[in-house]
Amino acid sequence: MAAFKKFWKNANFRLKFGLIVTIFFFILGFIVYYIPHINPFTFSTYDKGLGASGAHPLGTTSQGQDVFWLLIEAIHNSLAIGLIVAAIGTVVGVFVGLLSGFAGGALDRTLMIITDTFVVIPSLPILILMTSLMKGNATVILMALTLAMFAWAWPSRQIRSMSLTIKERDFIHTARFSGEGTVQIVVTEILPYALTWSLSNFMNATLSAIGSESSLAVLGLSPGNLVSLGNMINWARQYNAIFNKQWLWIGSPIVATVILFIGLFMLITGYNDYLSMKRGR
Amino acid sequence: MKFKTFFLQRVLAWALTIWIGVTFIFFIPRMFPSSPVESMIAQMTSRMGNLQPEQVQALQKQLSIQFGLEGSLWEQYVSFLWNGLLHFDFGPSLMSYPEPVGNIIGTYLPYTLFLSLFSTLVAWLLGNFIGLLAGFRKNARSSKILEGIAICIYPIPYFLVALVLQILFCFVWRVFPLQANIKLSADFATWFGSLVWASILPAISLLLLGTGWWIISMKSLAGTTAEEDFVMFARYRGLSEATIGRSYVLRNSILTQITALAMSLGGVFGGSIMTEIIFGYPGVGTLIQNAILQADYNMILGTITISIVAISTATLIVDLVYPFIDPRIRYS
Amino acid sequence: MKKRSIALLLAVALLFTMVLSACGGESNSSSQGSSSEAGTSSAAGNESSSEAGGESSAESSEAGTGNKAAAGITTEVGTPREDTLIVECQSSTDCAGQFNTYMTGTGTGFGIHQLMSAHLWEMQTAKGHQYGEVVESAESNDDFTEWTIKVRQGIKWSDGEDLNADDVVFTFNMIKENDNIGANSYTNMYIDKVEKVDDYTVKFTMTEPFPRLDQCFGITVWGCDWRIVPEHIYSTVGDVTQFKDEQPVVAGPYTVDQYDPLGSWILYKLRDDWQQSTLGVVGAAEFGYTADQVPPKYVWFRYLGDSTTKQMAMVNNEVDVLCEMTLEELQAMTEMNDKIGAWMNEFPYANADDPGAKGIVFNCGLGAPYDNADFRWGICLALDIDALSENIFSGAGRAAPIPLLNNTNVMQELYTIPMTEWLENFELDLGDGTKFKPYDTGYAERMAQKLGYEGTEEEKINTFGAGWWKHDEEAATKLLNKAGLEKVDGKWQYEGKPFTFEMSYIADSEFQVGRGVQAAFNQLQAFGFDCTITSKSSSTWSVDDTNGNYQIAGYWPSGGNYLKDIYRPFTGFDNTLIQPVGQNSQGGYGGRWNNQRVTDILHEMANLSPEKDEDKCYELATEMLQEFVKDMPVINFLSGTKFVPTNSTYWQGYPCADDPYDGPWWWWSCFKYMLPKFTAVEG
Repeated sequence: MAAFKKFWKNANFRLKFGLIVTIFFFILGFIVYYIPHINPFTFSTYDKGLGASGAHPLGTTSQGQDVFWLLIEAIHNSLAIGLIVAAIGTVVGVFVGLLSGFAGGALDRTLMIITDTFVVIPSLPILILMTSLMKGNATVILMALTLAMFAWAWPSRQIRSMSLTIKERDFIHTARFSGEGTVQIVVTEILPYALTWSLSNFMNATLSAIGSESSLAVLGLSPGNLVSLGNMINWARQYNAIFNKQWLWIGSPIVATVILFIGLFMLITGYNDYLSMKRGR
Repeated sequence: MKFKTFFLQRVLAWALTIWIGVTFIFFIPRMFPSSPVESMIAQMTSRMGNLQPEQVQALQKQLSIQFGLEGSLWEQYVSFLWNGLLHFDFGPSLMSYPEPVGNIIGTYLPYTLFLSLFSTLVAWLLGNFIGLLAGFRKNARSSKILEGIAICIYPIPYFLVALVLQILFCFVWRVFPLQANIKLSADFATWFGSLVWASILPAISLLLLGTGWWIISMKSLAGTTAEEDFVMFARYRGLSEATIGRSYVLRNSILTQITALAMSLGGVFGGSIMTEIIFGYPGVGTLIQNAILQADYNMILGTITISIVAISTATLIVDLVYPFIDPRIRYS
Repeated sequence: MKKRSIALLLAVALLFTMVLSACGGESNSSSQGSSSEAGTSSAAGNESSSEAGGESSAESSEAGTGNKAAAGITTEVGTPREDTLIVECQSSTDCAGQFNTYMTGTGTGFGIHQLMSAHLWEMQTAKGHQYGEVVESAESNDDFTEWTIKVRQGIKWSDGEDLNADDVVFTFNMIKENDNIGANSYTNMYIDKVEKVDDYTVKFTMTEPFPRLDQCFGITVWGCDWRIVPEHIYSTVGDVTQFKDEQPVVAGPYTVDQYDPLGSWILYKLRDDWQQSTLGVVGAAEFGYTADQVPPKYVWFRYLGDSTTKQMAMVNNEVDVLCEMTLEELQAMTEMNDKIGAWMNEFPYANADDPGAKGIVFNCGLGAPYDNADFRWGICLALDIDALSENIFSGAGRAAPIPLLNNTNVMQELYTIPMTEWLENFELDLGDGTKFKPYDTGYAERMAQKLGYEGTEEEKINTFGAGWWKHDEEAATKLLNKAGLEKVDGKWQYEGKPFTFEMSYIADSEFQVGRGVQAAFNQLQAFGFDCTITSKSSSTWSVDDTNGNYQIAGYWPSGGNYLKDIYRPFTGFDNTLIQPVGQNSQGGYGGRWNNQRVTDILHEMANLSPEKDEDKCYELATEMLQEFVKDMPVINFLSGTKFVPTNSTYWQGYPCADDPYDGPWWWWSCFKYMLPKFTAVEG
């Protein structure tokens, strides 16, 4: 508790804001989500196109779904996709990057050529290709795996160059002279460096994965049964919620996406500033 | 000597990257359950009502011969490597048969390039300029405001920004036409005028998001550099802030940004899909999307191969030129 | 409340920052580029801004210039708006300037077949009758192996040459000789020889008895692949499949005036001698059009992108007719611009006569339980059509009870209503010794009451259909039990294992079927089926369909549109064509439904003439439809329901429910025959 108090005192405004927003969304997506409720995807559960009321804080859709619970489910799934993609991307990225940076030689070159290939292949067309051709039942996991295909290459490149620079630093040489093995050096000296970077990369990857999923959804290519923020926007668009002025329906996933994105983003930049400030001390 | 080895190694890696990339692109569409022949027949069925079985069989045979899909996968692959990769001849578009893919891309590519290069470069310059100011003069109010704006806009999903712009400027205020109308057959001035006019709104949408990213990344780079010892020393030496900003901070942070620019230049193909769809702007992005949806193998290969070659070449050039800009880097 | 204010705040912030950076972007770009360049761009900008905004500014100053509502307005392509009908085209083209429809990639629907092509037979969908366009009359010998057709006299090509037997003979021989033409193999399969008898007579020698020349080589829906080309042009071309035909010589009433080299629009101009075109000659003969019924001078076909853009364009009067929108989009548009209407100006708005009743299909090739009629009927009775229809288009649309039959107005009158007695007496054996009569004629009345629709009995039946199937979960449960399924703890099981299936629909088109499947999925899930739902791209679906790689899918294999003879659309249901799942169905029905009686009927009908053996054909067709009902191979929800918006600010006379001279099919080749009815609105 004291540690947290200290952290909170030192944290800048953005970090605080980002943290609050992110925690708020996690509560919505992973705690509120588990409050028992009717499956929000089912059509004609309620009357159609209702406005906001006590029973339906955000009204209902044109298919008679409750917007509030649909939104909670969408936040849950979008966050889940984002987290899975970010986790895979970061873990694979850090692993490949470290391996390549420290092994050097032929292994390094091979790994980097493969990594570069994934960096140069344009991701959106391939994602469109994958999702449009993916056989049917794309679940949260499958969707996340597809998105993760492109999430590891960039971090692994960054981590590699990071480890190359770190490798040349004095303290590594010192460690080496004092007889530490490579693995030990990686774990004790380099991983901490990579980890702080990875944390901010993790948040960034979460953000971009949610973004990619919503782009695909807006193109009509996200799985039809996946309640995600992007799909929710797309459904509302398909039922012409914009011009029919069903603002709560179209607006709530948009506002949620924007706030979630800004929150996550503030968290990243605030966190980076916080780190650099801490280092400065 | 050292440069030569580095050069050769780098070029070899470049060639390998492209090869792996296009091989990937060649096999992926063919591994999935979709075929241009069935796609074509389905289109005809949905228009003309149920075709008769004999008609369907006849079409299946005829189309696979026409589309060059009758050989084995391996034969198709070899012929693609030879014609497509080495001669940039991707064969006819299957959906716009028999128009060659090369011709179609040639017609649309300039528009994508015009819009994307222009907006990417402007965003880069603008973003770096603001980012430099924000990072260097961390506590000035103007830099804080600019950065705040960037942070609020950058995370907004692109299609939202584009949609809002379109609704406001084309529908509510009716400043711009709803669909880009580029007068290609008119004289040069009219054509160029209509091109610029059609590009303004898409460009603004791209700038809004692009600039935000560059501000943010430049700011953090400049911020880090500004805290480095040599900047402190420069301050102690009494150099003016402008000189420090220009000769120390900018020069040191811009290198990273140049690499990032090269990477993003290559990304213009994929990135333009949403822009083109929403603003009805002609370009390669729409080609890619339609090709994928209709399983037009040749068009998919053509557009994505060009994109892959462009990005890898851009990074290759940057890597080769880098040491000339930054003497600290050695070829290694 | 709180969320709302946040949304408002954000919107304001978004706007503010946009304007800010827009200014930033512009100032930067002008300082960036050379000054002269910036100068041109702004000048050109002003010029086209006056053009884009032209319509609104000109409206105020119209008084002196003329008496048309559109007087003084110039379109973006430089034509007077009062002379220009603007039509939406659903896709752009990558090969602009290519007007030869015998090249596969040509965008035939981009006004080419609507305005320029000439076909042998054309379709009148409102009356359900096919008439000769280039053909004046056709006669066959007794066993249908030879057809002699008379070519209509008086039609001239746009360069003044006569259209005669030479052109017809040349066109067919061209198709037969070029294996790069799509229709080549099929033509060769059935047509042995095409010869000229005299200048206006052509003899077709068939390879086998062929009683349906007009249905197979003429138009029944949309268009067809046999378009007559001018012999005097095409015979001089080396390879007709590489000939772009950039300045086409046509028999239709319009020629190409300008086109966008980037493929987003084509401007067509009425021929000065349009009275000698197909429209002039055939229009007078078949529709009684007179010389003073002049079609619009210009027709501008343009591609308008996504549905948001389409709506904005129509609300701003920048397009006169759109092809297809959803109910919600139509309602939003009419709210913003009261000149916008559709087939009907009030609920249900839509025309329900589009070919293609949308519903769900079962892949019978998968074996049990999909190949079991009890299973399929069980699913059918578990569905609630009232709710389905409400979820699809808020209740708009005509219920289509008979599986595989498109319940167009013509078909409902010809088959569904006459079959009412049989349908009402039709019984299902529930397997526990009880019988169940599933047909329900109360649908129209219920919907009319629920939606507040007022009209005569006849209008209600036309609007909502003659009936559908009852929603009866008890009977459904019994049927499913009979098919070997069991409900354990509220979940269905088959052979002791949880029974799951996947329902799919096509993602990038056809809202009607997509919404239908989503709603059906919801209902079946609530009924205890542990099913999943997925959307497939159309290219994936086309392969999955033909290979039988699905369980239950939203699709429209239905047929029988406007003609009494319904043999042709069902030829794929012949069980001798069935291929194993996993192999290409080669034109056979992808759902692999096997019914011997249907096959026998099809074989019998194949050699009957729809004209000479009309009664026999009708009798067999009715029996075939009864087989469909007994077996329920697909479940049709609603007949093809199309919301085709029209804007009467500048043009009027569109076909509509009050004046149904034709269906609202702007994308079909019959569009040209509606144009004399279109007149500019007086201001």
